Amino acid sequence: MPNWNRLQTNSFLECSARDRAVGLVDEGSFVELGGPFDRLVSPHLVALGEAVENDDGIVTGVGRIGARPVFVISQEGRFIGGSVGEVGGAKMVGIIDMAIDFNDRLVAEFPDLPPSARPLVAISFETGGVRLHEANAGLLAHAEVMDALQRARHKVPVVALIGSRIGCFGGMGFVAAATDAIVMSEFGRLGLTGPEVIEQEMGKDEFDASNRALVYRTTGGRHKYVMGDANFLVDDTVAAFRAQLADLCALPVSSFEAMRRIGSPELVEKQLRGVALAAELKPSDARDVWRHAGNNDPVGLADGPLADFRKSVRRLAL
Amino acid sequence: METLLGQGRAAIDLIVDAGSFTEGTVGARTFDDPDFGPGAVVGTASLEGETVTVIASDAEAFNEKFPVVYSGIIGLEEGYKMAQAVYATLAADAEKAAASKRPIVLIVDTPGNGPGKVEEIFGMNKATGAYQLALAEARLAGHPIVAMVVGRAISGAFLCHGLQADRILSLTSEFQTMIHVMPITSVSRIIKKDVELLEALAKSNPVFAAGPAFFFKLGGVERLVETIDGMRPAIAAQIADIRKAKADKAATALTGPRGRGALGAERGGRTVRPKVQELLRSEFAAVEERFRPRAN
Amino acid sequence: MSLETIEFTVAGDGRSVSLSRRAHCGVVGSGDLEVLLEPKTADAAVSVRIVTPVKGFDALWKRVVEHFVAETGLSGLSIDINDNNASPAIVALRLRQALAEAQG
Repeated sequence: MPNWNRLQTNSFLECSARDRAVGLVDEGSFVELGGPFDRLVSPHLVALGEAVENDDGIVTGVGRIGARPVFVISQEGRFIGGSVGEVGGAKMVGIIDMAIDFNDRLVAEFPDLPPSARPLVAISFETGGVRLHEANAGLLAHAEVMDALQRARHKVPVVALIGSRIGCFGGMGFVAAATDAIVMSEFGRLGLTGPEVIEQEMGKDEFDASNRALVYRTTGGRHKYVMGDANFLVDDTVAAFRAQLADLCALPVSSFEAMRRIGSPELVEKQLRGVALAAELKPSDARDVWRHAGNNDPVGLADGPLADFRKSVRRLAL
Repeated sequence: METLLGQGRAAIDLIVDAGSFTEGTVGARTFDDPDFGPGAVVGTASLEGETVTVIASDAEAFNEKFPVVYSGIIGLEEGYKMAQAVYATLAADAEKAAASKRPIVLIVDTPGNGPGKVEEIFGMNKATGAYQLALAEARLAGHPIVAMVVGRAISGAFLCHGLQADRILSLTSEFQTMIHVMPITSVSRIIKKDVELLEALAKSNPVFAAGPAFFFKLGGVERLVETIDGMRPAIAAQIADIRKAKADKAATALTGPRGRGALGAERGGRTVRPKVQELLRSEFAAVEERFRPRAN
Repeated sequence: MSLETIEFTVAGDGRSVSLSRRAHCGVVGSGDLEVLLEPKTADAAVSVRIVTPVKGFDALWKRVVEHFVAETGLSGLSIDINDNNASPAIVALRLRQALAEAQG
């Protein structure tokens, strides 16, 4: 196990999936389930002659934050881009299911159990979605994860943490959107279609995928915070993500409803006000939306220190 | 051989009882603006006499406000419109017992989600994500949901419009139906493996090849339908079967994504999934005590 | 088009430095690998198993692992590697990191 105290000051962006999993929960509390010694390699990669990893690129386990059991899913971008196949998808669903089941049993046994002692799920995303080497199985697994998230509703809070290299795209973009709360760093990116595909669809004049600033303006943490998609924008350290997660651990599941962006008819109506705004503004750049939200100097705001940004940014009200 | 690809509206009429489809009305809700989410067709019909909600894609529609929407693509408005149709269905039967909630029929012919810059700025992932959550909620509330693939069921669009159903039916590939994440030629280019090798491997392993037959083997499609006329009775039979499965408190017959997971193991296409989950359960059982409330 | 599995054993040099616990290190990124070290009680040999998409480097693998065993004096363990085209220097580095992890 890595040294927990040293992990806390590490850049979240640079951390491996396992370091994130260990560092997010209390010191010494993380127990890996389905870890490398279980040798859960993808049989489909084996059949294709592709390199395999014993955890299939997803670290799963359970730890504690205070009294709260925290079920952790952490994706590893360095292994085939954090892509999700049959094994990784089964691990994600298995963890969410266990959190729900454990919650049900604890609540039945201890009806007065305080929220801060009930299970919570934390997902550290780093993925482009479906693993193409086993695309069909990966797609079917995504549907199961969405189903599991709906089953967790009003029982077990699910928190998304996004601040790793690959960001969170493809089918996993749906999964992140469907969680209760989203914590991002400014280096996190969240979306559906990756920049290269948008460029291919719209042409380089409309969207230049090699323009890093443009890519971050469109899907990066600061932008998603302005849009209200990210609930919290934290510094790029394990400690900062952990502190935010620990704050959330104090809340009852009912408090998470107000943080959601989708998942009810009312929220759909709210998002549709955003869609109407999109049709009206026809933004050629995310800056147009920032300006509309009341930020007169979106360029300065985007480039300034994060602390200043958090203090002065106006978020889009829908 | 005939095909329904690109003909979502025609497919609705072929599936529901003749002349029964009322577009733009679901329960108490009406969709009156013809320019709102034109790529999504929602409404109410009867199917073998029973009232059902119908959701389909119109490949001939073009969304003037969001020009990435054409050819059946699900855009921002379309995704939310489809979600609204599901929530309207839930509201319409809110007072009914689980066993008598109306079915939802998804007619699937869509090539993708809206892939644009404005879509990413505002969050395309939320629009069709909202639709998936609505479908999952309706399914868990008791509404039988059947997806009928009549054309294209591609990647993320199939995830939104299809894969949250209780059961999925598909016309066989003779009707030019397509179910895949990517065509095998694109997979080949990206993962750097020869197409010939992939095609040879696909004979024994259905996880990456394109087509309804491979999804059937994986449990991703419950049944293949061989004739156009066969669609209506097949959907009606699934609705009856779903109701039976949901009424069974022991839940021995699963429906929805996890039912298809179990089917994947049964059909030999996805055998590792249940073993992984069983292993996680047994490992957690061994340490569970540590995570139970501590005595004071 | 299958994965290559290379298996061999290395006899310890009699110093019998043994592991107290198992350890894991590394991510199977491009040009990288993961290492699993596990103590075993059956005998003093070092059992090695390498899974790699790259063919034809059996002798090189053997040399790198033999050097590691000689350098550390380890015995009575199994070394399990998932490789993705790592260079010998990276292999040696990850082996040492895994050992540090097991002893840390």
